[in-house]
Amino acid sequence: MRDVAITGIGSTLFGKHEGRGLESLAVEAANAALRNAGVSRKEIGALYLGNFIAGPLSGQEVLAGIVADELGLENIPCTKVEGACASGGIAFRHAVLAVSSGQCDAALVVGVEKMTHASGGQVTQALNCAMDNRSDGPSGLTFPGLFGLAWRIHAEKYGTTRDEVSSVVIKNKANGLKNPLAQLGAELSFDTIRQSQSIADPIQLYDCCPVSDGAAAIVVVAKDRAKGAPDLPIDVLASVQTRGSPRIAGHRDIVSFDATVKAAEFAYRAAGLSPKDIDLVELHDCFSMAEIIDSEDLGLVPRGMGAKWAAEGRTRVGGDIPINPSGGLLAKGHPVGATGVGQLYEAVLQLRGIHANQVKDAGIAMTHNLGGSGIACTVSILKRPDA
Amino acid sequence: MSARAGFVDVLKCSACGALDAGPREICPACHASALSPEQVSGAGALLSWTVIRRPPAAFRAEGAYAVAVVELDAGIKVTGRLDAMDAGGRLGARVVLAENRNGVPIFRLA
Repeated sequence: MRDVAITGIGSTLFGKHEGRGLESLAVEAANAALRNAGVSRKEIGALYLGNFIAGPLSGQEVLAGIVADELGLENIPCTKVEGACASGGIAFRHAVLAVSSGQCDAALVVGVEKMTHASGGQVTQALNCAMDNRSDGPSGLTFPGLFGLAWRIHAEKYGTTRDEVSSVVIKNKANGLKNPLAQLGAELSFDTIRQSQSIADPIQLYDCCPVSDGAAAIVVVAKDRAKGAPDLPIDVLASVQTRGSPRIAGHRDIVSFDATVKAAEFAYRAAGLSPKDIDLVELHDCFSMAEIIDSEDLGLVPRGMGAKWAAEGRTRVGGDIPINPSGGLLAKGHPVGATGVGQLYEAVLQLRGIHANQVKDAGIAMTHNLGGSGIACTVSILKRPDA
Repeated sequence: MSARAGFVDVLKCSACGALDAGPREICPACHASALSPEQVSGAGALLSWTVIRRPPAAFRAEGAYAVAVVELDAGIKVTGRLDAMDAGGRLGARVVLAENRNGVPIFRLA
């Protein structure tokens, strides 16, 4: 297998794009990534597009081919991949495989979602396609509900408090204020969070990521073709995908996801690294409690300490392990199919040393994208070439 | 199989005896295509619960409701509902099956 590097990144703003379609967002991000990589359209040998709910919310499928046609790519294989909220991360992994295996020398990854035109009930219903609807779905469970269930167990096992969880929200919202792409950065107080509406007890409004539109794109190339790229190429040390149980009943407990634990283990092994080598992580904080669980599952924070580390400031920029300097899903937004690609976009900016909320001397970055009730996960590790 | 009061419908593998909350096609333990309906006691322990205040469109008419995960004494986990929204919050509390509504087990505190 050949080494692979990222040479180009592009992204739209994450947020509400009134009157713009999926195709328009995807093409904006992809065009930016192609320009950033300095590749000609003829060189792109495959396109992988991550999207989750364009079918139910926009009545549009075959997006990969549509986007390639708009971009003027050749008659290359164009594949839409779906893995709920991990769709973007999975698209990236397939592009990496296409290049590392020698199927092509350059591939384009696009992630896109359009959600804000639909009603809250429609969005919740569409997102619920990511459950196993033979088992958990009929109870009326929602994803905020899943993390409400997890919260009670985390609190019982580890003594996690409302204000400790709020520390995650306050950090990510503050990080989001610094990110020009972010939808909902904010300066929040513990009181404001405590007084916000209940969504799925104990999950309250500020514990949830917003509903978002957006697209992000990445160009990956064989490393020996990366020389001469206009911007600093970033090495892909690992890009791993795993599955977990689609059902709550299949998880040992609800405060850890096997798919994340395994993906992290495989990614560290592939990269020859351990958690202490990671300079920053962009992880899947669809809810405050999700960040807490993810950070523990990735081995970056000791088990049970996810909220406490946030409360102690150890996960902010400048802390032991900066988590979601972009603002994460909570503040940057969560256009579902775009999220995993957006995380890689943020990681590349960090490793190029030009992020608006820069982690000092960032050399190694991790991204973590989780789908459904822990059914699909990707973990990637990226490296600045001189790190 | 007609429902017995207080019992939950699950699946049992006739090849290896494993129980599963189902629905499923093949036995997750031995992979035999030998799962058949079984009823087990609806008594168990409350693993966790939440109150869904923003239901998906299909459940909107119900207003807020409590979803619970219960570990049945038979050793399997099921996702269902709690009949009261103020369950008291104590994890590990004993519950029993109150009723079975459209295939969803509804539990109450014992």
